[in-house]
Amino acid sequence: MLGALEACALVSASIAIGILGRPKLAQPDVVMLFVLAIMVVAVRHSRALALFAAALSVAAYDFFFVPPFHTFAVDELRNLLTFAMLFALAVVLSTLNERARKSERAAADARLKASTEEMKSTLLSAVSHDMRTPLAAITGAATTLRDNESLSTAQRRELVETVCEEAERMERVVRNLLDMTRLQSGALAVAREWIPVEEMIGSALVRLDRALAGRAITTHIPEDLPMVEVDPVLVEQVLINLLENAAKYTPAQSPIDLSARRTDTGVELVVADRGPGIAPEELSLVFEKFYRGASARPGGVGLGLAISRGIIEAHGGSLFARARPHGGAEFVVELPVSDKRPSLPPELSTLSERRAP
Amino acid sequence: MTATAPLVLVVEDEAQMTRFLRAALESHGYRFVEARTAKEALAICTAQAPELILMDLGLPDGDGIELTRRIREWSQTPIIVLSARGRESDKVDALDAGADDYVTKPFGVSELLARMRVALRHARRGAATESPVLDAGPLRIDLARRVVTLDGAEVHLTPIEYRLLALLAQNADRVLTHQFMLREVWGAGHSHQPHYLRVYMATLRRKIERDPSHPKLLHTEQGVGYRLKIEPESPLIKS
Repeated sequence: MLGALEACALVSASIAIGILGRPKLAQPDVVMLFVLAIMVVAVRHSRALALFAAALSVAAYDFFFVPPFHTFAVDELRNLLTFAMLFALAVVLSTLNERARKSERAAADARLKASTEEMKSTLLSAVSHDMRTPLAAITGAATTLRDNESLSTAQRRELVETVCEEAERMERVVRNLLDMTRLQSGALAVAREWIPVEEMIGSALVRLDRALAGRAITTHIPEDLPMVEVDPVLVEQVLINLLENAAKYTPAQSPIDLSARRTDTGVELVVADRGPGIAPEELSLVFEKFYRGASARPGGVGLGLAISRGIIEAHGGSLFARARPHGGAEFVVELPVSDKRPSLPPELSTLSERRAP
Repeated sequence: MTATAPLVLVVEDEAQMTRFLRAALESHGYRFVEARTAKEALAICTAQAPELILMDLGLPDGDGIELTRRIREWSQTPIIVLSARGRESDKVDALDAGADDYVTKPFGVSELLARMRVALRHARRGAATESPVLDAGPLRIDLARRVVTLDGAEVHLTPIEYRLLALLAQNADRVLTHQFMLREVWGAGHSHQPHYLRVYMATLRRKIERDPSHPKLLHTEQGVGYRLKIEPESPLIKS
């Protein structure tokens, strides 16, 4: 429908220009105007519309520009040839165009199929490696415990420790794979609730008490930070992923700093470490699925950051990494905050409406 | 001793889980009985009166939430739900149906045992009438005198903050759902305002936590509710 309107508009424009330019434009010039109109329609729309534009053009050309004027009569054979050429142009151009579109579609299908295949095989190899390694360790440790009666207490403890650690590692792999699947299948429902940022940071830190033991963790959260409307479970998961990452890639005693601040458009959360940092060319690559950096540690599939970015983007925010001044890496979560504020009882003004001076 | 050891009913259809739970529980002095289906579980509940129930939420013949509801119709036996990660709404539903607590699979035995101790303690205490004083690290909550002190210094709480803290203290170490807390503190009409609760918990944390952004006492169970955490080994309620 829109295409038909467009054809009419283009032909009308050709007529108008032809009539206005009559003193200066010769008949072949006017024909070129109609050729242009037909070309545009043929390239942008279907063959039927191209033929429609050609028919309109022929009628208009005949009516306005072919003597006798203002009739559909034709007195020269030459003009009939022009009409035929206009129709031929419509057919040839739209055929070419359809062919181009078809091969483009086929290429896109092929690309999608290739990337799905690639994704599947990467997934398979990542999963088989990352599941097999801990499984092998667990099986080895458990069978040694079962079959070898003469182990010392220290040896036994060592083996049991292995089983526990490797099982945890497998749990992480499975958890990430499940999250990724949910994210990719679009099954990730964002259940937004108003929540103070402090509470999400607090619960993430509590859940990681054991993993972060022995580290100096500082938090800096302004008291007047507005609440955010997010899915608390998902955003907490992102904070956990970022903190786990910081713990994994920095020395055991290295400090981690968490901060939050109000920005022009929302709230920004930063997880900063004093580790070796991320090479500039890897700053965006680390968010790619299955990307395992040069310094990657065993025990991950390279999904944590990709999942985290997916979650934050599902909230309309962004997640990126940057170098930290004086060494280390910083992961920045930007969450948009709307002007809407939840209603609160008046005595609680400190957490809602109070602005920084 | 065996006769007085608490009998635990494990409702679980996966044999590996049952095997592991049997070993873990029996080695910690509990007696163990298992049910694979909801029907079996109900039969054992009436016949053997277990002191505690561990319930897997995914059962072949009906779900654990429904079973919890049915058991609650006539029994107050504490129920701890074993639930998978990422199913927060299941946990909330189970708790609202009358379950006492939950652990998320995969869980460590120490975590499970801690939850079981808490559930048994609350069940045995029943309706305590004596004036209870609760110590949680540097925090002391005197429920009879309605006084809260931190390192000996009195903490001034608003009436709502106090009601929240008292509610958590009466259920120390147990998870309380958002809905439950909203209903208990604000009444049934306000249960649609969960951010009220979050804001009051934030102000409460600022008054009783040394570092409110890394709480030691008032834990958030994301997507479920809150838990007042007490040192596992410290005596809980003193007369």
